[in-house]
Amino acid sequence: MLVDRRKAAVFGAALVLRLLLWVLFPSLPDLLTGRVEVSTPVNSFKRLQEGLFMYTRNVSPYDGGVFHQAPLLLPIFALLPNAREYPLPTAIFYSMVDLANANALVTISDSGQALSGRLHSALRKHVRYDGVAVAAWFLFNPFTIATCLSRSTNVFTTCGILYAISNAGSGNSVNAMLALGFASYLSIYPALLFIPLVLLCYDRRVQKTKASSNAAVFSVQYFGILLGSVAGLLGISCLIVADFWQFISATYGFQLLVPDLTPNVGLWWYFFIEMFDSFREFFLGVFWLHLACYVGGLTIRLRRQPLFVLTALLGIFAIFKPYPSISDASLYFAFLPLYRHLFPLMRYTFFTVSALLYATLLGPAFYHLWIYAGSGNANFFYAITLVWSLGLSILLADTVFAALREEWEQDNPELRGKDIRQV
Amino acid sequence: MTTKNEDLGSSPQTTSDPDNTATTIMSSKTSAQRVPPPEKPEATRARFKVIAAFWAVIILLGLPIWWKTTSIYRAHLPFQEMVDWADGKSCRPVFPLEIQIAAPSMPDPEAQLLLRTTQHTLDDLNEFSAHHLRLKLTEDGDNTGYIKEETHEKADTALTVRLVPQDNLPTPRSELSPETTQLDVFYSPNQSPVPSSSNSPLSTFIAGELQRLFSEEKATIAHILSNGHTQLSENISRRLRRSLKYADTYHLAFSLFTPGPAPSSWAVQEAIEDYLSPLLQAFAPISNFTVDTQVQLYATFSPTAPLPEFVESQSAWTLKQEDLSAFVNAAEWPLSPSIGSGPTINFLLYVPDPSQSPMVVKENTATSWIIPQWGGVFLLNPPLPTENPSNPPHLSKDSLRPAFMTFSHQLLTLLGTPTTPTSLPFRLQTLIRIRAATLLLSASSTMGSLARLTESLPSIPIPATVAASVSTTLSHLSATCTHLREGRFSAALDNARVAETEAERSFFEKSMVGQVYFPDEHKVAVYLPLLGPIGVPLVVGLLKEVKRIVKGLKGR
Repeated sequence: MLVDRRKAAVFGAALVLRLLLWVLFPSLPDLLTGRVEVSTPVNSFKRLQEGLFMYTRNVSPYDGGVFHQAPLLLPIFALLPNAREYPLPTAIFYSMVDLANANALVTISDSGQALSGRLHSALRKHVRYDGVAVAAWFLFNPFTIATCLSRSTNVFTTCGILYAISNAGSGNSVNAMLALGFASYLSIYPALLFIPLVLLCYDRRVQKTKASSNAAVFSVQYFGILLGSVAGLLGISCLIVADFWQFISATYGFQLLVPDLTPNVGLWWYFFIEMFDSFREFFLGVFWLHLACYVGGLTIRLRRQPLFVLTALLGIFAIFKPYPSISDASLYFAFLPLYRHLFPLMRYTFFTVSALLYATLLGPAFYHLWIYAGSGNANFFYAITLVWSLGLSILLADTVFAALREEWEQDNPELRGKDIRQV
Repeated sequence: MTTKNEDLGSSPQTTSDPDNTATTIMSSKTSAQRVPPPEKPEATRARFKVIAAFWAVIILLGLPIWWKTTSIYRAHLPFQEMVDWADGKSCRPVFPLEIQIAAPSMPDPEAQLLLRTTQHTLDDLNEFSAHHLRLKLTEDGDNTGYIKEETHEKADTALTVRLVPQDNLPTPRSELSPETTQLDVFYSPNQSPVPSSSNSPLSTFIAGELQRLFSEEKATIAHILSNGHTQLSENISRRLRRSLKYADTYHLAFSLFTPGPAPSSWAVQEAIEDYLSPLLQAFAPISNFTVDTQVQLYATFSPTAPLPEFVESQSAWTLKQEDLSAFVNAAEWPLSPSIGSGPTINFLLYVPDPSQSPMVVKENTATSWIIPQWGGVFLLNPPLPTENPSNPPHLSKDSLRPAFMTFSHQLLTLLGTPTTPTSLPFRLQTLIRIRAATLLLSASSTMGSLARLTESLPSIPIPATVAASVSTTLSHLSATCTHLREGRFSAALDNARVAETEAERSFFEKSMVGQVYFPDEHKVAVYLPLLGPIGVPLVVGLLKEVKRIVKGLKGR
């Protein structure tokens, strides 16, 4: 039972750390809740409380134009005592969600899909972290802790995505689709993960039963399950909110059309502040297509490693989605230790880590200069978000390169260790 | 090698692969590091699929989005009709004024004869055909002095001439009643026309009187219809210079300014209700009004303004006439230029400090003056107690009476009401006709400008609301024209006001105006830097792939 004791120690330490931070720095959660890097209009806990206040008083939560999150969160949070007077239950709840997420990561790691799948088997299998290490990497990541303390509702989307992938990895395809439906219901973009996820499910099914069925029929079946789960959740939402179309336009309309240009760590807000009004719709389309068009290309190119496609897409979402926050980056970072065997093939690790640290430290400083001190302007903060996105993009490109290089070495074993050159 | 075999074994194209890999290994061994091993067909196919996947997204989703979001909606506008209105081809405004002649004491044939001869004389005198007077006998002789209610069938009566026989008059005499549109003509019965002569002193007199009464209106309308090409008399052009541009709504701002602490209140509401509201109601068919008031204590002159001087002979503080323009301290007195849409007319009531009271204008001891196109000023010098002189803390309604009488007079001038003749209803009717003509021309020319603008800029969108506004404008313009031709001037003005409002709304439509300054060249600046970085790799990838396919076809 050595492994279990390690796991218990890591999970216990993570829980204690979170609660300690809550108890020792009572103002820290509220400070983080107000930070634009952590809280965006679609996941802010403050806005959730506003919606909750209206919901408990029988007013449509979307009336104020402040709340843009899924209505199912409201009854869940209505069960918890008021976060302002009794912060501890909320703290414990969020910490538990974090632990559940970590547990899903352990499952993903233990399924071994990152190392070998149906069509693929890594060369450096011995270079790996075990599940507890992966979970520790996630639980003690400062970005994850900040997300947890800020009580961002993004953790539920993260939870949905992680459970979808862990269920797919362990072969529970239906559960995977239900979890993905939950994540897509909360914030639309996880639906883009469907294709690689269904391929992962398909590979597991073929591995298990040893009989290959038609992939297309399989996908259509599971797409039906996904649609059914989303429709079911929407149906339950109908019971909560009276006006269905108001709910759709306040949540999904808000996420698709990006009307709130509050600064965040992403690339959209500044662009749409500057864009001519008549081109706004066009570039909304361009940005969404840009986000979506990687799915097909990556899935085809990395067909042998669906889990890696999922990881790369999570990285792309963290950079290019409309309201990104550091919680999206923390989800991407959580998957990277699964690919410990690719680290030796990566080339710009130092530069990436430096750029990300640089952006992490200077971002709040420049935001302060712009908003509070008044000695800087929007370009200060925008420049730092560019550096942040650059760091993430290089990390993403580097890992994709490493994965491709590994595939290449599998195909051409005699060329292992040779330098790469452009021809 | 085991992993690789597994790997290849599971891929669908297994039959030829072992040979293929063998040759690959052979060739790469011989050429060392120089030449990379040739790509496997599997990899080539994968690359083709990747490129196809990206292009499929672009073509299937990107192109429709591009088409949908950047296509410009241009509602259909009746260009020819709009230009015709602007060129004056659609409507030639005419002003047939109906004048009722009431001759209760005259036998009917005689009255008919008088009517004919007078009309003949009038037509001879008139040299401006668009504006002509039509005489008509009142059916009901007793119904004199009664302004007909506006109906849609009958023309407005511009003037009623009542013939009153009076003995011992050497020449006919006329009298215009100041409160109605009625002209009393006194004549001795021997001046009435006789069938034998084509002219009579009475008909000549009436024709002359009518011509005189309508001379200012006629000159003004001729001036408007000719787009300001005709010469105006000094009197009329001065009036036009002073008056404000027409607006649907005027904001009246009444301000009490005083350099000291008193008076700190005034009975302005009662004063406006009693002295001004009747006038504003009379103006209701022409314009709407909103009224604001304010009191400003310790309002000082601007430091550069010349100070009033004490003149012993007048025993008053005097302001020089040429210094009156500096009287209003525009920098410090809170006189906002405009409240909402529409112009503001300011009326200033200035109560001088007791130490400078009474204050008058030096040259003519006047206490009020008009500021052209801006408003009016009135100096109120309240009676001061002899010992310890100070201004009264409250201005009663009665003490405001002279000021508000002056203000109402100034308001008439500022709104462009003709100065002659003396009857107010008559002048207001004249104003209705003048405004109808002005609005008809201005709305028509706005239509022309809109047509030219939308034709010369094919890239600006035309929202459906603009098309709706244009059609409303055009229909109201033609209604205006019909009403004018049939002499219903109030109805004409009503339609012209709607036409003008709609024309302005369509011309200043926000979504159109924003695009006016966005030429097509700017689109290159929008598309290229933003889509270039994405487009270049995609296009290069596509070209390479096409090249490879063409090569493969040729090789075969």
